[in-house]
Amino acid sequence: MDLKINADDLNACVQCGLCLPHCPTYRVTGDEALSPRGRIHLMREVQDNDAPVTTEVVDAFDTCVQCRGCEPACPSGVPYGRLIESTRAVLADTGAVSTRRQRLAFWALSRPRTLRLGSTLLAVAARLRLVPERLGVPTDLPFMRGQRHTSGDDVYLFTGCVMDAWQRDVHDAGQRVLEAAGVGVTPTGDLAPCCGALHTHAGLGDPARQRAEATITALSNDDRPILVDSAGCGAAMKEYGHLLGTPEAAAFSARVYDIHEWLATRLDDLPTTAKLDLCVAVQDPCHQRHVQRVHDATRAVLAPYVHKIIELDDDGLCCGAGGAFSVLHPQLATDIRDRKVDAIERVSPDIVASANPGCSLHLAAGGVEVMHPMQLINQALHQRT
Amino acid sequence: MPLFRSTREPIDPLVADLTAALDADRVRADGAQRSLAAHDASVFDGGIAGPVCFPETTEEVQAIMRIAEQHGSAVVPRGAGTGLAGGAIPLGRPVVVSTGRMNKVLSVDTDNRIAWVQPGVINLDLSKKLRPKGFHFAPDPSSQQVCTLGGNVANNSGGPHCLAYGVTDAHVVSLEVVLPDGQVAVLGGAEDETPGLDLRGAFVGSEGTLGIATKIGVRITPNAPAVRTLLLSFATVRDAAQTVSDIIAAGVVPAALEVMDQRMTVAVENYVAAGYPTDAAAVLLAEVEGLDGGVEIDAARIEELGRANSATDVRLAGSEKERAALWKGRKTAFGAVAQIAPDYYLHDTVVPRARLADILEQIYEITDRHEVTVMNVFHAGDGNLHPLLVFDAREQGTLERVHAAGAEILRASLAAGGVLSGEHGIGVEKQAYMDELFSPADLDHQNRLRQAFDPACRANPGKVLPMGHSCADIQALREMPTGVWG
Repeated sequence: MDLKINADDLNACVQCGLCLPHCPTYRVTGDEALSPRGRIHLMREVQDNDAPVTTEVVDAFDTCVQCRGCEPACPSGVPYGRLIESTRAVLADTGAVSTRRQRLAFWALSRPRTLRLGSTLLAVAARLRLVPERLGVPTDLPFMRGQRHTSGDDVYLFTGCVMDAWQRDVHDAGQRVLEAAGVGVTPTGDLAPCCGALHTHAGLGDPARQRAEATITALSNDDRPILVDSAGCGAAMKEYGHLLGTPEAAAFSARVYDIHEWLATRLDDLPTTAKLDLCVAVQDPCHQRHVQRVHDATRAVLAPYVHKIIELDDDGLCCGAGGAFSVLHPQLATDIRDRKVDAIERVSPDIVASANPGCSLHLAAGGVEVMHPMQLINQALHQRT
Repeated sequence: MPLFRSTREPIDPLVADLTAALDADRVRADGAQRSLAAHDASVFDGGIAGPVCFPETTEEVQAIMRIAEQHGSAVVPRGAGTGLAGGAIPLGRPVVVSTGRMNKVLSVDTDNRIAWVQPGVINLDLSKKLRPKGFHFAPDPSSQQVCTLGGNVANNSGGPHCLAYGVTDAHVVSLEVVLPDGQVAVLGGAEDETPGLDLRGAFVGSEGTLGIATKIGVRITPNAPAVRTLLLSFATVRDAAQTVSDIIAAGVVPAALEVMDQRMTVAVENYVAAGYPTDAAAVLLAEVEGLDGGVEIDAARIEELGRANSATDVRLAGSEKERAALWKGRKTAFGAVAQIAPDYYLHDTVVPRARLADILEQIYEITDRHEVTVMNVFHAGDGNLHPLLVFDAREQGTLERVHAAGAEILRASLAAGGVLSGEHGIGVEKQAYMDELFSPADLDHQNRLRQAFDPACRANPGKVLPMGHSCADIQALREMPTGVWG
């Protein structure tokens, strides 16, 4: 079967195996079929040698968290993200992954009113304990969300889909931090309701490209920087150039910044204040560390506002959230999270900072106290002394 | 297209028995899994593997061995599959025993400096766990971030820092092993002197042909109080090799002495951006460990000897971050070659240090003549060469040229008084050259030792000893269809 993977991309792997320990599913199973090298071998067998796509092969591809922790670990520079995205797109076309029911959920992501209504219903259901625990839906989802306001036109703050419905308080915190640095902020809100990252991961290529095109069109009346406080969305938007293959998309991607990345070059604009008396363990979201590779910025921005930043000793291994992964593969996601929780417990921080909504929800469901770095900074800036 | 065609064997009594002993999740007989187990990191293809088992305890390994014996099946142990000599590839559809789930550090005794680990523990994970306690596991193969202790024992692995500390054998005090008939034996012991023959020493480096280690007692090494890392650049490979020889001759015992030639340095720098000079013909990475005052003196002496051999630049790593980046470059060198070509064949000969420069020149001459691209990266301090022949197997005739050049390199090394393998093992790769290094009597004795552990030749058959000298291997390796997915 043609998985539509570029032959040179596939041949870039020399099977050295250095990726294995950086793969969360290999780490918790010891199973090479669930490792990057194993998956690439299976891609080759399927694409080059026409090996049949059996349940085991589908399972190998379907269980990839797409954390892309293997990419920085690869000395040969295999573009693994492109390989797995292409594979899953072909498998989704055949119906082997991403079922019709899942697609309905993905469809709702770009309908903000439907999403908010659904989200409120879910919040009610979660309060009434009607949602299965394994789905990891927090019991304190907001019923209502505060009003967004535009404070200027220096930057866009991209608000996205699920995060805007579930964690608008993080956007509010990010906006207040930016405003404290004298930056005028336009939250994108319903103007650009979804970046399409989750669609790309699910192999739903057409809807992903539609979301990307809609986002580009909505935010291209000027060339303001587009700041993103969700690592997954930021990574996806930085890859629009590759997804769409147009110069406009590449130009758009060049305007996208992780909010910490952008602020790290403007530290002097941020007011100084008394530090929060907290030892903070930074959990690097994979798409911030392995894809955008801007995780140092989080530390640079956060350090002046907290007592101490503590590093985890797990080399940025994924926490198992992976967008919709934790819902689709709850057992694997839980096993992966257990490793992360162990790493957190080894350094016993007061709180964990995570710059991605998926990670923070997944970790919170595992009993970890998590805040977004922007929430911590906002708290420090606006604390009552 | 039949997307969900199952490829499980209809009713295989071997698989049924294994499944009963472990459980269905941990005995995998599907085509995808067996195809994956057919490869390691080498260029060698085995046949297709038999069922792949994931035991978690010594008892389960015993059960696998006994069931395999009842069914007349061979058994091949497999760690992370990073071997470079084909030691873990299956010949004749054996049962594959993956140590992927035997990955626990069982105990750490800092008073007696011993840690007990399961064979699937990753080398670097062990050191990371020990570092905060003031210790580490000294052998550090370049693949240490992924390779397992079980694989280290099987191959008697080395690493850059083995120059000062010795290879794996010097750091394994005791082994619990499951013999091919399912019995458990404990070799060696925690005491400094154990009575009787050193069977532990025989087992280390036996490449899975004597049994499977299920618990490994390792010596843990205190962390050095001070470290200095120098990067020396040279205009010729000969100057670098001569410097290495001079450093050892001067009585300095560095923790590591590693050389990379220009092609290798360029590929590595492209990946790590650690500040390796891409215009030098060769670089020497030298590290000294010890007490503060001592490392200062050693570092100064190394710089002096480098300059005497026309070093064009000498740089001292200014921070732990800089040092880590330099080492990351050195330790990912093999993987980085895919930037040049999609396949590589890595050799592992050892030559007397004083002959390094001569042999290197021969290697360049041999590879030029066979029109093969060579990149050199090696543990210079102990004369362990790693010429990487890089190529694209899709080009007609390339693999033949690579093999021909490789054979000449091996023979040149042997002629200089060297040996076939420093640390990667013999596997299937260098088997055919064993009789150029050992006499028939030598090989027969080695085979008799092996038969004492494994009379039926079911432990990783077809490896290490050449066919004519190994027992009933040929029987175990009867022809099997290869390349079949289902």
